[in-house]
Amino acid sequence: MKVVPDKDLLLFRSCLVSVEYPGVEASTKFVFDKLGIDYEISDKQTCCTGLGHYSDVFNQIDTSAIGARNFRIAKDMGRPNLVMMCATCYAINKKSVKLLNKKDDLRNHINQLFDENGLSHFKYEKDDLKPTENIYHVVDILYGKKDEIKDKIKYDLSDYKIATHHGCHYCKVHYEDTIGGVRDPNIMDELIEECGCKTIGWYDHKRATCGTGFRQRYSNPDLSFTATADKMNAIGDEDVDILVHLCPNCHIQFDRYQHLIAEREGRNFKAIHLNIAQFIALAMGGDFDKVIGVKAHTVPIDSIIKDLKEVKK
Amino acid sequence: MSSQQKISDSPINFAEKIIEDVKNSKDEGVLKCVQCGMCTSICPAARHSDYNPRDIIERVLEGDESILADDNIWNCFYCYTCHSVCPVGNSVCEVNQILKQMAIENKIGYDKLYEYMGFADSYFNAAIGAIPEIFFKDIDRDVPGWWDFRLHLDEIRNELELDPPLMPSKETIDEVSKILTITGFKDKIEKIRASQEDYK
Repeated sequence: MKVVPDKDLLLFRSCLVSVEYPGVEASTKFVFDKLGIDYEISDKQTCCTGLGHYSDVFNQIDTSAIGARNFRIAKDMGRPNLVMMCATCYAINKKSVKLLNKKDDLRNHINQLFDENGLSHFKYEKDDLKPTENIYHVVDILYGKKDEIKDKIKYDLSDYKIATHHGCHYCKVHYEDTIGGVRDPNIMDELIEECGCKTIGWYDHKRATCGTGFRQRYSNPDLSFTATADKMNAIGDEDVDILVHLCPNCHIQFDRYQHLIAEREGRNFKAIHLNIAQFIALAMGGDFDKVIGVKAHTVPIDSIIKDLKEVKK
Repeated sequence: MSSQQKISDSPINFAEKIIEDVKNSKDEGVLKCVQCGMCTSICPAARHSDYNPRDIIERVLEGDESILADDNIWNCFYCYTCHSVCPVGNSVCEVNQILKQMAIENKIGYDKLYEYMGFADSYFNAAIGAIPEIFFKDIDRDVPGWWDFRLHLDEIRNELELDPPLMPSKETIDEVSKILTITGFKDKIEKIRASQEDYK
């Protein structure tokens, strides 16, 4: 397995985490602190442009120029290891680093624009960052410390039926760097196992998209929710209590629209939706309101988790 | 699906243009397509609409540029499933993104961006990525309690002791606006908006 760093990390803020599930950020910080991971957040870093990029409003030059600025901020902080809470930020930033290293024309074009407009301090030099060695998702960092998770677990969540939804933009875009499988993704299943729980493992449509499709959810909702229903029906058939996510966009699609899809499909779905950092934070004793941020969730967390039992040590 | 095709005299030029595009990360992958159909067999958009990734590459290799005006290309989910399984290292998902950028450059795709102008505005003016407000009404209709949650977002964030605040500094906003001006983003958005006014 590739070596995953536990220091010099810039925890990259996500636009969707910030305003839709802020508890994902609080939970990530809570778990990182418990595991002794060295990270910082920057108030200068801006959104990866993902929602705009994948609704085709931002072209690659726009996105990579914004990326170059964010990469320079990380380097100047002495934190060249970017770690993302959102699968799309991960895919976007890794691609920009790859292109800026490989395509001299793109890099020179952006650097020239910066030079001519008083922004030389944001110039990106070839190999300033490496796509594999510097660009991570939170799950990668947690995986690197997974042997230390077990000792920190306070609550036993093993009575719940748990399944995982691995975001496409973590697993499938830069598949050469994906830990734990692409066609049969398991990185979160392995992390959940370290919390003393067993997931249901493979299920029908496990590797399928959440159905957001960026523009599809808003401009083409029938197509979007029909694709989501494939997966939600499979989750329902397995009687899953907790679906664990690694991307806020997938999280929105399932948590915010579960009710709507249930109406469309004429059946009830009961699963609650937690990000992997929220799941581990909860198992480590994180407070529902001060760490997990349950008030942001549409499907109430206490509809499934009514009480918590401590792990017998 | 349209049965008319416009096959050019030099079909390879279209694929070459895609290969040279800044967004292409698959070198000459598009030329290696063997039309096996693996992409279509696992594609969620093909499962639920007339979108057909194998067909897209066939038309690209035939030099059929009428594909830029085909509404079906806008059904891709950007899930990259095709990209992750292609046996010859092609990526229809990426080719599709390049086709859409070409459609936008040719102004054919402008109307597909009208609903997303709010994202451009919030990024340009406030350095924030945000779901365009034009969709808030739909979200409020479809998601029980969402608007109320959004009204209480600050309280929830305070309880979670999250900082720094959501709003970037003026310095950051100025830097971002400048970058998006010099890349040509601002001009593009103004052109799209002007066409939107005509469209109304």
